Amino acid sequence: MNNISESSQWQALQDLADQQRQQPIHQLFSENPKRFEQLSFRHGELLVDFSKQHYQANTLENLIALAEQCELPNWIHQLFAGAEVNHTEQRPALHTALRLPEGKECWLNGENISIDVQQNLQRMDELVHLIHTGQWRGCSGEAIDTVVNIGVGGSDLGPLMACNALAETPARDDNGKLAQQAAIDVHFVSSMDGSQLADLLKVLNPMRTLFVIASKSFTTIDTMANAATAKEWLNQNANCSETALIARHFIAVSSKPEKMQAWGIPKQNQLEFWEWTGGRYSMWSAIGLLIALKLGMSAFKTMLAGAHSMDEHFRLAPLKENIPALLALTGIWNINFLNIGAHAILPYDGRLKNLPAYLEQLEMESNGKSVNRQGETVDYNTCPILWGEIGTNAQHAFYQLLHQGTEAVMCDFIVAAKRYGPDASQELRHQHQLNLANCFAQSRILALGDSVLDDAHSAPAHKRYQGNQPCTTIMLNELTPFTFGQLIAMYEHKVFVQSVIWGINPFDQWGVELGKQVATKLLGQLDGQETNNLDASTAGLIQAINQ
Amino acid sequence: MKIAIWGNELIAWTAAACFAEMGNEVLFVPLFSGDHNSGENRSNNSPNKQAKLHDAPANVKEEPSLVEQLQQQLDAGRLRFTDTETAQSAMLHFLAFLPKQLEYATSLCQLVAADSKRQLIVMNASNFGIGASDKLQACFRGEQQIIAYIPDQLPAGSALAHFKNPDHLIIGCQQEWALMHIRALYRPFSRNINQWLLMSAREAEYTKFAITGMLALRLAYINDLANLADEIDVDIDIIRQAMGSDERIGQHYLNPGCGFGGEHFPQYIEGLAGTLSEARNSSLLSTVLEENEKQKELPFRKLWRHYDCDLQAKTISIWGLAFKPGTASISNAPSLKVIDALLNQGCKVKVHDPMAMANIEAFFSTHHHREQLAFCDSEMQALEHSDGLLLLTEWAQYFSPDYQVMLDTMNTALLIDGRNVFDKKLIKELGFTYYGVGR
Repeated sequence: MNNISESSQWQALQDLADQQRQQPIHQLFSENPKRFEQLSFRHGELLVDFSKQHYQANTLENLIALAEQCELPNWIHQLFAGAEVNHTEQRPALHTALRLPEGKECWLNGENISIDVQQNLQRMDELVHLIHTGQWRGCSGEAIDTVVNIGVGGSDLGPLMACNALAETPARDDNGKLAQQAAIDVHFVSSMDGSQLADLLKVLNPMRTLFVIASKSFTTIDTMANAATAKEWLNQNANCSETALIARHFIAVSSKPEKMQAWGIPKQNQLEFWEWTGGRYSMWSAIGLLIALKLGMSAFKTMLAGAHSMDEHFRLAPLKENIPALLALTGIWNINFLNIGAHAILPYDGRLKNLPAYLEQLEMESNGKSVNRQGETVDYNTCPILWGEIGTNAQHAFYQLLHQGTEAVMCDFIVAAKRYGPDASQELRHQHQLNLANCFAQSRILALGDSVLDDAHSAPAHKRYQGNQPCTTIMLNELTPFTFGQLIAMYEHKVFVQSVIWGINPFDQWGVELGKQVATKLLGQLDGQETNNLDASTAGLIQAINQ
Repeated sequence: MKIAIWGNELIAWTAAACFAEMGNEVLFVPLFSGDHNSGENRSNNSPNKQAKLHDAPANVKEEPSLVEQLQQQLDAGRLRFTDTETAQSAMLHFLAFLPKQLEYATSLCQLVAADSKRQLIVMNASNFGIGASDKLQACFRGEQQIIAYIPDQLPAGSALAHFKNPDHLIIGCQQEWALMHIRALYRPFSRNINQWLLMSAREAEYTKFAITGMLALRLAYINDLANLADEIDVDIDIIRQAMGSDERIGQHYLNPGCGFGGEHFPQYIEGLAGTLSEARNSSLLSTVLEENEKQKELPFRKLWRHYDCDLQAKTISIWGLAFKPGTASISNAPSLKVIDALLNQGCKVKVHDPMAMANIEAFFSTHHHREQLAFCDSEMQALEHSDGLLLLTEWAQYFSPDYQVMLDTMNTALLIDGRNVFDKKLIKELGFTYYGVGR
């Protein structure tokens, strides 16, 4: 295919954008009373409303034509079929296989990888059961009651986000009964400088603490450095052999069994995941061990089932109703035709506080690229800058810029319609109403501006709101393991769809490699080696330290 | 005197036997579970089944001489199992329900006090917690209708002896006319009583709690000291004796060991811990309970460390399963936790106990590793191919075993003494590796 930006579909969209830009969002509403009906979509308990976007309802048809020009349906098929969609690393990207229900098959190179997946889930189940029943013993013989995940990036953000998002879901055993065991205390450490770990080690009981080293490559320096510190801490407090210490206090999750073995992790403490699972798509694998520990295996499997339901929707629904595809194409419209380069993630739910950080990695590490699959530099924008914060908190921080700044920003509002059952206090239930009111008020003003007021024109300029910031509202009926799984899978597929339009590989991340190499070299120079070959700035900084 | 006894606790059955033996007419309704019918049919159509001796719970059947004594009194006709209607006619009532059965007691009090003119003395020995006597008293309208609280202080294993020959009696009742009847009832058992401790029902409830909590604290403290003694290499036995000879402290409840169990003791402390925590935000007793649970696994932990945290495929012997000697009860026994831990670590576990094996067998019948658990007819049989022996209950028959046979039978001469019954020096000289609690 030729450059997509030269296609007629692209050109048509460009022309449309030139027209539609003239018409503010509030006018689109006043012209078309059916906007919400035409531009909101449902899948199960998920409602996605695009009506506060800056396009007319029929623009979606042009966007779908562009997707078809890019052979999106074929790419979706290739993704699920295990084709080498990650061509620079010669790998498929089969995170969808991690969520297949037991009994369904997924064939890769003549092997049904579903069997491996189910076996690994079974192993996870056994470990979780041992820990939940207090029968995973530390080296003093005491039961483990605290688990610390050591990982970074995909080995950290997903499980951390899920644990916080679903903490209100009480841990349940395999039969769905409430787990009898007191909840396991879970923690996450990722930072290379050891500061998170050092703080934790001050308060944890080493004899009751288990570490999970989560690293796809098992060489990630951040993770291995934290693991070494954890081991040293245990060694200072334990009275057993190092073999026993590692066997009782470390579980490892990696795609490299030989490297886990070399670190001393015994076979029975190894959980595997595979080359065909990308790091930022790995919380569905054994990397999600902490999720299962915190919420119970049953909730973990429900989360997988939620994601699978979104997979099936994405795989089977026609593009005009395909929520991940429409979400992606809406982004394409904003980025490539309205020239918006910033994307705010605004969960109106404290439980989703880690969603912005998670999506920053998912989107920017996947699509933050400027070379297409043919190795050519693209002549259009790709992934925008994403950032975000719990919506109500962000209202007191960067919303000023969203409302009155000079940057165009597209916004995702994520909210759960229901929260707090009848058992909760009236005040808490009122807080939820307050939260909903704020969510809807903000997206309304961002899109429609002060046109929502009758007398806006009389206000002085510094009190005016221009509006026209395009907003998508993603509303879950309730935040549960199932809807959470759907939500995250929706974003994963959205990212894939955008990569197809842009013609880039979303599954590699070569842009993070050089820094690692250069840092390794600088280690020697920080220890006193010659700095002659460095630029003056770096050399000067190192000399300032070494003096 | 005619007395009705209600409830299925050990003290109900013991009181039935003892009161009858002393010539009282005892009407016994152990299975009373409240009266759920309303209106006139209420007493004619009682849902409560009339019991038989055969219905006695396991801890009653296991109690030395109790069943025989009950049978004698039944034969003599002084003790009768009756229906609710017959029993409710008595003036004296004795209640011994489980802590969770306060509603049974309430329902009973409402039933017997329906006629507010009749004279009524209800002696409650159930442990419903502080304030329960007031709640029950509130069911009464008549002036001559009284609740007295007489705390249950019977130790399982010697219930009869303690009931018949108490050292002191706590009676929570301040109405003279009622006390007169209660004293008369207890008179045959009070020859050796040092003190009649008379107080209000609420004070008696509190006293019961306070004593139990104090004992638990002493045990927790000595266990804590013992665990520290392990680390700094001193013998807790020497420390304990020296502490106990200080008359302000005394020797009771100062034996370190692998935790306390039983039907009542932990349950009472749990209640007290809850009360203290709610009313005073005090975590003292909840900490005692938590530490006690950990202490139960102490023998396991010593074994675990001895084998460098790997017990896979080891054969481990356990002597003593009951929560204490002299009973078949395994209620809250350390053996439950230790066996569970060993089975989960892949051990074959060979156990022996003079009385409690059937209970353990039933308890572990659904454990997913139950096939690793073997029940042995003799203590020496339990040592065959053994990689270590854990002594968890201090049955007298374990105190002086034939050490040579032990050495010959065991794979590894490793002895973990959860009750400090063995002579450490001798054992070590014989060639055993020995771990005690704090020694």
